[in-house]
Amino acid sequence: MLPLDHLQTTMARAVLAMAPTIAAKALTAGKADPLARLRIYQNNTRSSLTSVLMAVFPVTVRLVDERFFRYAASEFIRRHPPAESRLARYGAGFPRFLKSIDTLSDMPIVAETARLEWAIAEALDAASLPPRSLGDYDNIDLGTSPDISVQPSLRLIVSHWSILSVWTAHQHDAADRHSSWARRAERVALWRAGDNIRLIQLDRANFAFLHSLKHGLGLEQAAGRALALDPGFDLVSALVRLFGDGLVTNVRAAATAHSNSWRQS
Amino acid sequence: MSGMFSTLAIPASAGIGLRSPHIAEMLTRRPSAGWLEVHAENYMGDGAGVEALERLRQTYPLSVHGVGLSLGSARGLNRDHLERLRKVCERFEPDLVSEHLAWSIADGAYLNDLLPLRYDEEALAIVARNVETLQDTLKRRVLIENLSAYLAFADSSMNEAEFLAALVARTGCGLLLDVNNVHVSAHNLQYDAKAFIDALPAEAIGEVHLAGHATNQVGTDTVLIDDHGSRVPPVVWALYQHAIDRLGPRPTLIEWDTDVPVLDVLLGEAMWADMLTASIMFNRRQAARREQTTKARAKPICLPVEYETKTSMPVLAAFAAARSERPSVSSQAPSLEEIYHAAA
Repeated sequence: MLPLDHLQTTMARAVLAMAPTIAAKALTAGKADPLARLRIYQNNTRSSLTSVLMAVFPVTVRLVDERFFRYAASEFIRRHPPAESRLARYGAGFPRFLKSIDTLSDMPIVAETARLEWAIAEALDAASLPPRSLGDYDNIDLGTSPDISVQPSLRLIVSHWSILSVWTAHQHDAADRHSSWARRAERVALWRAGDNIRLIQLDRANFAFLHSLKHGLGLEQAAGRALALDPGFDLVSALVRLFGDGLVTNVRAAATAHSNSWRQS
Repeated sequence: MSGMFSTLAIPASAGIGLRSPHIAEMLTRRPSAGWLEVHAENYMGDGAGVEALERLRQTYPLSVHGVGLSLGSARGLNRDHLERLRKVCERFEPDLVSEHLAWSIADGAYLNDLLPLRYDEEALAIVARNVETLQDTLKRRVLIENLSAYLAFADSSMNEAEFLAALVARTGCGLLLDVNNVHVSAHNLQYDAKAFIDALPAEAIGEVHLAGHATNQVGTDTVLIDDHGSRVPPVVWALYQHAIDRLGPRPTLIEWDTDVPVLDVLLGEAMWADMLTASIMFNRRQAARREQTTKARAKPICLPVEYETKTSMPVLAAFAAARSERPSVSSQAPSLEEIYHAAA
């Protein structure tokens, strides 16, 4: 008789590999064939996890057709089963997996769109903090270069393909879905607003600005990077839009001055 | 974080499983539902559903039902997942917490299904240790649910009911009796569903689950699939009646996970459960009263007529419904008919 640990490992492999690697004599099922019953567990695992992926990647499903998606999903599940039971985290590796499938090698936009959909899934599971308004800081000295914290759900994606156009075209019953499959770089910012996701397309400078803020570089560095890419970058408009979109969750005087004085003392 | 919500105790009546398609309607309508149950794993992030549940928790008593802890895993519990479950309980302060007698993680993979254990001393020691870790971490008693199974292990040295009874004795945990699971497993593995229920320690059962299942024909094998995708069928209502007859009223949850219908269907199923329990308890009181009357024939005029009038409506409605929609319930409960005529 196998120890329980060994028995569970064997059975888990049998369920995932879709093959009866477990000895039939170890199992019973009344008068039924135990190996036929084992297939119920195999089907449950595959179909429930496929449903999870289909819910996360609905546009990808439409791009490749549901039958192909199911095939790709089932291969992904077999090779990369979830490592944890928090299924909101399952699917992070799916866009990269799609990229590795030969059939899709001449359609890179499929994996790129899946990458956008995964970012949306991440944003939907992230916190939405109360946004601050510019008026909140009317009488507060923020120094010359304040730090700005942005919504934790903010995700920034840059792609060589027109992923936002493709994604948007598949949100409605758009008649002309394929017109936008262009090799044109798109930079996308997205974040959660209540139950919804807001997505916007950005130019290089505004993308760099948000990217710097998201990584905690502070307003001065963020503006510097944006200006380096585009001397015409309008910091005031960018800030007004940032607050207007509810993306700012905190503004505070940069900690640099304090740490200097601490070092001196 | 703790102490954010007022204590709302789960009543010994019916509640519903909160599913995402119903959240908006629950928030706006706030229908009369005894209590809510959520899957712990759906509330481990920070999405909009979590914010909604914080609001609903102010109105409804809450039960947190884990589906992914894998209490039966021989390698012990995943500490990260256990910590996430602890945080969910800290955040929402549920009145009940439950998990399954099953395993779903092995060989580094989560199978997203609840697999059966080989019921023997080795497994009992492992599950008992895991349940103790869980109860110590959450600092509370946890209810453990019986499983719906499609196969069993030839080398089991006890049955699932004996295993659960031993687990209660060893860890002080409670039990969640899933009546649909009992029916599904009893059919699939060919044992007596009522005997299973009767073998469980009644006082440990802190919650009951009700759901529908699917019937699949594979060759000559008719297998019941626990899909939580339909109304509670008559045969499960009959088994529920058997359970409540033995246990008395218990918090009872209507579970529905696939092909989720409109909210009112769930609320309707919860109403049936309440009415069935009410009629069983009425029946009991009637029987007790009859016994009393027989003993004291000298004072027949003392029958509490007003009380009977008050409770006759749900009994009447329950019976009428049971007769028209759930023939097997009424056929297995001839005593209800007697009450109906008495009340009419």
